[in-house]
Amino acid sequence: MNVTSSDVILLAHATFGVLGTLSALWVFVEALNVRDENAGRIQKAALLVAVCMVVAGILGGYWYIHFYSGDKAAILKGPWPFAHNVFMETKEHLFFLTLILSFYLPIAAWRKSYSNSSTRKMVLCVSMLIVLSGLAMEGFGAIVNHGAQVAFKASARGTR
Amino acid sequence: MNGDPPKLGRTSAAFALSAAITILFNTVVACAKDAYGPLKALMASPSGSDWTTQGLADVILFFLLGAALSKTSLPEKCTPKSLTYFLAVAVMVAGVGLFVWYVLY
Repeated sequence: MNVTSSDVILLAHATFGVLGTLSALWVFVEALNVRDENAGRIQKAALLVAVCMVVAGILGGYWYIHFYSGDKAAILKGPWPFAHNVFMETKEHLFFLTLILSFYLPIAAWRKSYSNSSTRKMVLCVSMLIVLSGLAMEGFGAIVNHGAQVAFKASARGTR
Repeated sequence: MNGDPPKLGRTSAAFALSAAITILFNTVVACAKDAYGPLKALMASPSGSDWTTQGLADVILFFLLGAALSKTSLPEKCTPKSLTYFLAVAVMVAGVGLFVWYVLY
């Protein structure tokens, strides 16, 4: 078994992205049933969203800058060039939307949302936007991964 | 009886506005640097990668604009409903806009 640092960083990036998305879903569900007892939990989960998304961003950014160039060249020469041209390009810029929302979520959740319906609605809205954009990025990541796989398969067939 | 909805709070409202503006700014910069090569090269010079520079610019803009807006009365003039809609629409326009841009570009 040969696990490279590139593999570890890429898988950790995806894992933290999923954890951030799940934490945002946790905030959403808690906010749906907000009351005095779970107000503190909402704030902690909102902070967890921000931490997970920052870590996912740092790991993903490091991988993108240091390891992606080989895969990118293969994808562009392969049968699915749109995996980079459309999905990776969108993903790398869409991430900043999720990151900004993740920074804002703990700020929005800092006020006691059980006593303020406007705060509760804002927390519900922001956490759901993070869930949807997080899921979109996971899907885009899968398409990029498949784009690389079909490119390497096509390349292997060509060299046989 | 007061029928007005409860306020978001000055800081929360200011950073909601800042988030929406930063998200739209991010999409405009992403499209502009692809359409205009010298901008991409300029953005790559401070950090070695235009993507890194864009991310840092977004984060700095979000916190500085949020802090600046929280010192003004502008966030308090916006209703919580309008701020929530503005943020949601900004995210949808920016997200769909990015995807459409890269499909067409």
